[in-house]
Amino acid sequence: MSERGLRIQQLRAAAGGTQILKGIDLTVEAGRVHALMGPNGSGKSTLAFSITGHPGFKVESGSVTLDGADVLAMAPDKRAKAGLFLSFQYPAAIPGVKVANFLFAARQALHPGDLPPAKFRALLLEKMDLLDMDPSFMGRYLNDGFSGGEKKRLEMLQLAMLAPKYAILDETDSGLDVDALRAVGESVNAMRASESGKDTGFLIITHYPRILQYVKPDVVHIMIDGRIVKEGDAELAQRIEREGYDKIREETAQIA
Amino acid sequence: MPSATLEKALELRSGRERPGQFWKIDLDAIDFSSLQVAPPSDPQIVAPSKPGLIACGLEAAKRDHAEVFNRAFGSVTGTLNDKFASLSAALCNTGAFVYIPPDQSVDDPIEITYTAKNGALFPHTLVVVDRGARCTIIERIEGESAEAVCGIAEIVAAESATVTYAAEQNLPLESQAFFTRAASPGKDASVTWCVAEVGAALSVSRIDVLVDHPGVDAHLNGFFFPRGDQHVDMVSTVRHNVGESQSQTLIKSAATGRGQARYLGNIRIAPHAQGTEASLRDDALLLSPRAHIDSVPALEIGANDVKAFHGATIGALDENLIFYMESRGIEREAAEKMIALGFFEPVVERFPTGMRERLRAALEAKIA
Repeated sequence: MSERGLRIQQLRAAAGGTQILKGIDLTVEAGRVHALMGPNGSGKSTLAFSITGHPGFKVESGSVTLDGADVLAMAPDKRAKAGLFLSFQYPAAIPGVKVANFLFAARQALHPGDLPPAKFRALLLEKMDLLDMDPSFMGRYLNDGFSGGEKKRLEMLQLAMLAPKYAILDETDSGLDVDALRAVGESVNAMRASESGKDTGFLIITHYPRILQYVKPDVVHIMIDGRIVKEGDAELAQRIEREGYDKIREETAQIA
Repeated sequence: MPSATLEKALELRSGRERPGQFWKIDLDAIDFSSLQVAPPSDPQIVAPSKPGLIACGLEAAKRDHAEVFNRAFGSVTGTLNDKFASLSAALCNTGAFVYIPPDQSVDDPIEITYTAKNGALFPHTLVVVDRGARCTIIERIEGESAEAVCGIAEIVAAESATVTYAAEQNLPLESQAFFTRAASPGKDASVTWCVAEVGAALSVSRIDVLVDHPGVDAHLNGFFFPRGDQHVDMVSTVRHNVGESQSQTLIKSAATGRGQARYLGNIRIAPHAQGTEASLRDDALLLSPRAHIDSVPALEIGANDVKAFHGATIGALDENLIFYMESRGIEREAAEKMIALGFFEPVVERFPTGMRERLRAALEAKIA
């Protein structure tokens, strides 16, 4: 079992010809919550997109494995089938594609034939209720005309419906009011308490420690300028809250 | 055959764009004079039974309903001075007449099917909806053999009438289709066109609404999707000649293979047509490097107290949308298909319920 986990090793990646990630080592362990914190522009979203295979990001070297499987060799949909999930900071709006149809297609792709339509619908309604989402959401076009909060709730709904092995939440807390933030936190906690989600490993990418009041991290990683410069427990997030990133940047500048 | 009328029609210019870098067909060089014309026939007509409702072929209309028929027949399309409408009028060999009496609401659609075979077809559908009446027409244009079909659909809607006219042109691939669809709504009347140009090698069409009375609510919905070597040329025009009325135009198009299309969306607001609200939205999706769509919104606004909006987009499938779907486990090809079908969905949903599944299937077949 030594290979268990989402293991990122010496990952270097570029966007638009500029190297953003300068050798990332980070392992997300099954059933644990990892927080990835860092100031704007430090490369957090680049890491999320590089792991999930966005065509706008080029991995230059390093490796990413998911329970031993080589993630970087897979097409993006295969990465999802291997158990990877990304909650987008800016989810795409797709007019004409209804939420329920999209979710059913995604669930079918990841867990073929495991839920007949009626059971799928029941599960969907249950998860929507948990997220304070009105059933009318099912008939709306995917993210089309959604408010920021509605988009993030829909990301959490997908997380709940797709039950991945490893979930990356990219700034899911940004732009959310307190109610939406609490709903997101409760959704993650409910998933972790469930049979299908108890082994899910989380990488929660955030700029502010706010969301970590709702979801307690087991490990906190600090990323600055494309490198992980510090790791610690939940106390490290508290420190960021008090001191900001500058102090850590100064402390770690010599090492870099 | 009134040959003087035909001579005049043959001499008219189409008024369409000349061939250019992408579009290769000269519409003014098409030879209509040597076409073999099919013998006269009636279309297949299915209509619910309602007191006073008339739905019949042209011969029966002239014979049994001469007064109302003669007053309306050609009264709208005859004013357009259009080459293809004139040709259709001169060579008319099939058609249908629908009349809805005052205040009669007809829920079930009236279905008219033209089937081209044994020569060129020149259909003329006339729909007269009397005061406060309501109906839905579904017209299907099909073919057993590849023919030229040059037709007219004409709506005369009286005060406070509501009419939806949905047409699906799905001729065999080697056919040519020329359609003129025009409506004249009365005061407070509501007119909705839904036009799907699916088949034929060449599809040339125009959709017109002449707003000559206040309170009109006009909707023009259409889509086309040339693939292979198909060519589509569509022009829509809403003429707001009086104010205090509104119109919405929504056109969705895609092209794949070497498919070529041109769309010109006109909104004309006359100088005294104050209080007009008009919107035009057209989106075009290019699914192959050799496909081409020219999409031109043209707003001509003469009045100052109006609301006019237009938005046009053209482009390939958005990689970010594809990636979003892929990241949920959906394969790239399936994702592209879902996004492209979804692109048409807002306009498909404006067609009568009974047509939608067939239209979705037709679109899906084009993407495959």
